[in-house]
Amino acid sequence: MKRRDFIKTSAIAGAALTLNFDGLQAALANNTMTVEAVPDLVAVMGGEPVEMLDKALEALGGIGNYIKKGQKVVIKPNIGWDRTPELAANTNPELIKSLVKKCLDAGASKVTVFDNTCDNWQKCYDSSGIAAAARDAGAVVMPANEEKYFKEVSLPRGVKLKSAKIHESLIEADAWINIPILKNHGGAKFSCAMKNMMGIVWDRRFFHSNDLQQCIADICTWDKKPVLNIVDAYRMMHQNGPQGKSAADVATIKTLIASPNIVAIDTAALGMFNQVKKLDLESVGHIGNGQSHNLGSTDLQKINIQRIRI
Amino acid sequence: MKKLNYLKWLRVFLAAIIFIPIFLYFVDFRNYSPESWSHLLKIQLFPAILAGSIGVLVFQFILALLFGRLYCSVICPAGVFQDIINRIFCIGKKKKKGVRRFTYHKPNNVLRYSITGIVFVLALFGFLWLGMALDPYSNFGRIATNLFRPLAVWGNNFFADILAKADNYTLFHVSVSTVTTAGLIAGIVALLTFILMVVFRGRLFCNTLCPIGGLLSLISRYSFFRIAINKEKCISCGICEQTCKAEAINTQDFTVDTSRCVDCFNCVSSCKKGSINYTFKPFYKKEEKKTEESVLAYTAPEAVSNSRRSFLATGATVAATLPVISTVAHAATGEAQKEKVNPITPPGSLSLDRFKDKCTGCHICVVQCPSQVLRPAGLQFGLGYMLRPYVSYYDSYCNYECTVCADVCPNDAILGIDVEQKVTTQVGIAEFFLERCIVETENTDCGACSEHCPTQAVHMELYKEGSTLTVPVVEPDLCIGCGGCESICPVRPDRAIVIKANTVHQRVEKPAEEEAIEIQIDDFGF
Repeated sequence: MKRRDFIKTSAIAGAALTLNFDGLQAALANNTMTVEAVPDLVAVMGGEPVEMLDKALEALGGIGNYIKKGQKVVIKPNIGWDRTPELAANTNPELIKSLVKKCLDAGASKVTVFDNTCDNWQKCYDSSGIAAAARDAGAVVMPANEEKYFKEVSLPRGVKLKSAKIHESLIEADAWINIPILKNHGGAKFSCAMKNMMGIVWDRRFFHSNDLQQCIADICTWDKKPVLNIVDAYRMMHQNGPQGKSAADVATIKTLIASPNIVAIDTAALGMFNQVKKLDLESVGHIGNGQSHNLGSTDLQKINIQRIRI
Repeated sequence: MKKLNYLKWLRVFLAAIIFIPIFLYFVDFRNYSPESWSHLLKIQLFPAILAGSIGVLVFQFILALLFGRLYCSVICPAGVFQDIINRIFCIGKKKKKGVRRFTYHKPNNVLRYSITGIVFVLALFGFLWLGMALDPYSNFGRIATNLFRPLAVWGNNFFADILAKADNYTLFHVSVSTVTTAGLIAGIVALLTFILMVVFRGRLFCNTLCPIGGLLSLISRYSFFRIAINKEKCISCGICEQTCKAEAINTQDFTVDTSRCVDCFNCVSSCKKGSINYTFKPFYKKEEKKTEESVLAYTAPEAVSNSRRSFLATGATVAATLPVISTVAHAATGEAQKEKVNPITPPGSLSLDRFKDKCTGCHICVVQCPSQVLRPAGLQFGLGYMLRPYVSYYDSYCNYECTVCADVCPNDAILGIDVEQKVTTQVGIAEFFLERCIVETENTDCGACSEHCPTQAVHMELYKEGSTLTVPVVEPDLCIGCGGCESICPVRPDRAIVIKANTVHQRVEKPAEEEAIEIQIDDFGF
């Protein structure tokens, strides 16, 4: 408890300092102790979705480490399909609801939720339960059904994808959280945090026709990286992904992973996935391509991981 | 006279409560309108005839026999629409140039009954093109779908942009991808036809070209309630004649042609002396006919001989033109079939031939389809399919569990099907071309087709031994032809997976329900 309190206090102090002082960098530098104490990746197992989210954020030093007062925040779930939450094609709506609340409580001036869906967007927003949950919690649920909502952004580090049209809410955002659901995927083999980035882009067809695995890694090189990735693996679609046919495609593995490191979190999630269905890291090309982009390491030995069982 | 003035307003009120929902139903681009409004389409006569809705037909028959062609002023959206055009035309004009611009014309019985006859005889033989061109309801549908709906969308987008500035997304940007050149032309032609005819001759369309008007006139001749002039009270001012949009009042002979009267009651309102009224005058009351012979409400002998003459003329014309028309139609379709692919018809339409025999191209399915996957056809599938909706997987696909088109079709051209039937109806089969596929040509992963396949009829299998790549494989027995794969395939110009239409829809099995296996994990795995 003591340590947590200390972390909390220093986080709040840090946040408070940002309001008044220009010397923020210096102030944070003084707190190197706390910064190091926060793990690079937290995995929680055995609880209910919201319970696990609470534990994970607690371990990461609280949402205040990532979301500051007055910030415009975007939460980007996977809302790709016209499917109910039980079928695990979309991120769990309870998680979204809780996360929106947390961001607002942390002082976010506005929280926006959107996804560029595959099925008819209104059906996806409704069936997934995400639109209602997010609105309930006070978020702005924004459409992403028209090219008009997207703005061109250059990706100088991209190998195949040199520029992309990205949703305007993200372009205006001060911070954003990537919150995918872990699942099998017919095209990319595996869909998690990196693959979820495809939903921030208007033209997905380009990805498919220009080396999907490379383009997924390329979009992750966008300067404005998510401050946090949270993987919903409470229910996991282990076959027939990404939309799934029935409940038989779903395994309830009651896990949640959180990390600012997108390559590490996908590697960890793939480890989880492999316990249900065999899938080589090699065939999920985008993770390796992400490592080549220096977005993170697939070597989980190198990072500080905290595992929590409930 | 004052007592009866409410008739016109009653007519306007009834017309409004039927027309406004129909109008909104066609213009609606957000699928807000309740499904129950589709019943207002199902009481339209031409659709009811095609759908064989006996109940509706009996009801309309009784209605016309009792009250005359109230249908044309209240139920028919094209009729009400013409009244609206007329009203707009009269705005800011002096009475003489506006409301009172009509004069009595003799009915063109040969023409109107020929048209009516030909339309229905052709329809009977499965040639619907003339009915499609003249059905008032479908024409209204084409105007609303292809002209008014895009306008509404533009308006919506304008306001959506303003609201978006305040982070309000109750309105959002919409694009209409369902307006095709053919649809647009059809809408414009219909609109101009209505405007020109209304401006110069009032309800001329309804009384010469409209097959439903023709049909109803045969009943309304004998209607129990009818407009009639009271010769004693009439001062022959001619105002009622000038206000009659149907040009059916002859103030010289004090007659009203009930076969053309559309029960708008403008004449009743216009008469200052109260000498033209809507009264109970059944045709069987012979004594009235004798005593009030001058009140030739239904112009007895002339009308009879006229209708007999026109019947003969109709028969002769039909007999003469039928072979010609059928040859032309056959030639047109035959020629087209040689070179072109078949259209994919909506699930529930059962077969291409049946659909062509039933659909009059009102485009309500095009409007209501939440996926905007239906498009009015041009000539790409031949003349015989023109303006009918085909399923286009250009940038959208048919939502797996959606049955909206079947729910709304008033003609039963798309038969009502439930979700269970929908997901087992195969409207076409996916055909895969490996030589075009990204996996083959670029040697990279894709799998977009399989991603979008709701039945996993298109699933990914190992491309080559030792490779990590996978390629799509089609299981035809599971494919329902929804086009998820084709719509998303990134290959251009020819896509690597396309749906080939079933000219007769097939039934397929639902994908087998797999047994859910209990999976327990106690370890993180990393």
